[in-house]
Amino acid sequence: MVTLERLASMVHAAAAQIRASQELLSQLDSHGGDGDHGTTMVRAMNCMEQAVEAKQAGSIPELLKAIGWAVMGVDGGATGPLFGTFFMSMSDAAGGAALDARGLAGAFAAGLAGVQKRTRAQVGDKTMLDALVPAVQAAQEAADGGAPVEDVLRSAFEAARAGAEGTAAMQARFGRAKNIGEKSIGQPDAGATSVSLLFKGFLEGVTSHG
Amino acid sequence: MAMKKFINNPDDLVNELLAGFVLANAGKVALTGNNLVVRAQAKPTDKVAVVTLGGSGHEPALSGFVGEGMLDISVPGEIFAAPGPPRVFEALKLAHRDAGVLLIVLNHEGDVMSAGIAMEMAEKEGLNVKQILTHEDISVPSRQDPKDRRGLVGCFPVIKVAGAAAEQGLPLDECLAIAERMERNMATLAVAVTGATHPSTGQVIAEVPEADMIVGMGQHGEAGGGQQPLKSADETAALMIDALCADLGAKAGDQLLVLINGVGSTTLMEQYLVLNGVKKALDAKNMVLARALVGEFLTVQEMGGFQMCAAKMDEQLLALWDAPCNTPALVVK
Repeated sequence: MVTLERLASMVHAAAAQIRASQELLSQLDSHGGDGDHGTTMVRAMNCMEQAVEAKQAGSIPELLKAIGWAVMGVDGGATGPLFGTFFMSMSDAAGGAALDARGLAGAFAAGLAGVQKRTRAQVGDKTMLDALVPAVQAAQEAADGGAPVEDVLRSAFEAARAGAEGTAAMQARFGRAKNIGEKSIGQPDAGATSVSLLFKGFLEGVTSHG
Repeated sequence: MAMKKFINNPDDLVNELLAGFVLANAGKVALTGNNLVVRAQAKPTDKVAVVTLGGSGHEPALSGFVGEGMLDISVPGEIFAAPGPPRVFEALKLAHRDAGVLLIVLNHEGDVMSAGIAMEMAEKEGLNVKQILTHEDISVPSRQDPKDRRGLVGCFPVIKVAGAAAEQGLPLDECLAIAERMERNMATLAVAVTGATHPSTGQVIAEVPEADMIVGMGQHGEAGGGQQPLKSADETAALMIDALCADLGAKAGDQLLVLINGVGSTTLMEQYLVLNGVKKALDAKNMVLARALVGEFLTVQEMGGFQMCAAKMDEQLLALWDAPCNTPALVVK
């Protein structure tokens, strides 16, 4: 089960993953973007951890909402609203004192639905959705098959990683990078890579917490 | 080539530029809350408030449009990056009044998202807020599907006429209708001759080959086609105003406002030459250069080039354009 404490350790592990890859994320964003994605994501992670450490949230939905609002507060273009919306929308579906595997997968699905309401980007456009959509699908399939939380997160991470890696072969059709056309092919998308790192952290946070 | 800019710690860049901006414009603007730029003297609350948001690094835009006759509040974001929804919502709450609030949003992914989320929250709280999106960059050809058209310096005339309407005490619906009419009747095209760097990351955000210019360059120098050998001021002015007039469906006798907005390192001298070229091209079409303005209003760091905005004006829009204002970027007495 994902309890409040486990969710906190998932958040810290995700933040550590992003921090360790800050330069890589900015470098990936430098192809067609501003080269600031790593900086923006690290600021988002700082805000996310502050929301956890404030310990004002007494329940999982409250904590997810606080995390989402904190991430939205990062003045970093679309990154804050998109990642923030993911957590805030998760909170709408995350009832109860703890999330079981199905509850967690359902919350991820609600998070994805929220993100998809905010952007016109589709799978294949070389965006964060190319990692997030398969991750959420994999989580749901694992949960529907009766897998425990840890396996749900492992499936989600593996799908997110494969999805992010797959963006290397794609031509950007959305966001600023679409303007460089074919030159966008060859490197993975920075936002999709961030999604993969977040899920890697979620998995680590759950396993390290025992 | 290494970036040559006078900056301190990149993390402090936005805070420091806002502090300096307010010092330079004491008596006109002030900072409040979480880096919201407001007027030094607030407008009476029986008049509509006008608010906008957008990334920093484009000075004097957008906070330079705060002041009597134009904006009430601007929400500056990080360098080239929109502010998050919480600060936009903070601004809407601060601006809230019975007369209502008009939120002017430039069509860029981050700005639209932050504004959209802030608008949803404002609605939940029962705030009276209307939103207008500016999307007038004709480097994306379709007027029918303007979602892909970016908001460039055309935000300036929209803010000017909407701000003047609000200052005159017109109700929110009329302010919005005026802003929408201005938006529908304007078009912008950008041209770049040299690139720029992101001041925090040092990332080159636009490159232009030595002997070329790129017509259709976006606000951050996103490539957009239109690369060609550098032309003279007159030739460039003619090809750009022709494209703008075609997009606007302008015809002989139409009264046009033309704005030449230097984006960084193109000199004022060149900008005047371009305007002169525009006048010649319009004369040849029997169109009227009713109003013109030249200068740096929305910049992209040290990029070379300019944005040309043209708008078909009617009597009311001209009167609102001529109305007094007192802002860091523009003073009309």
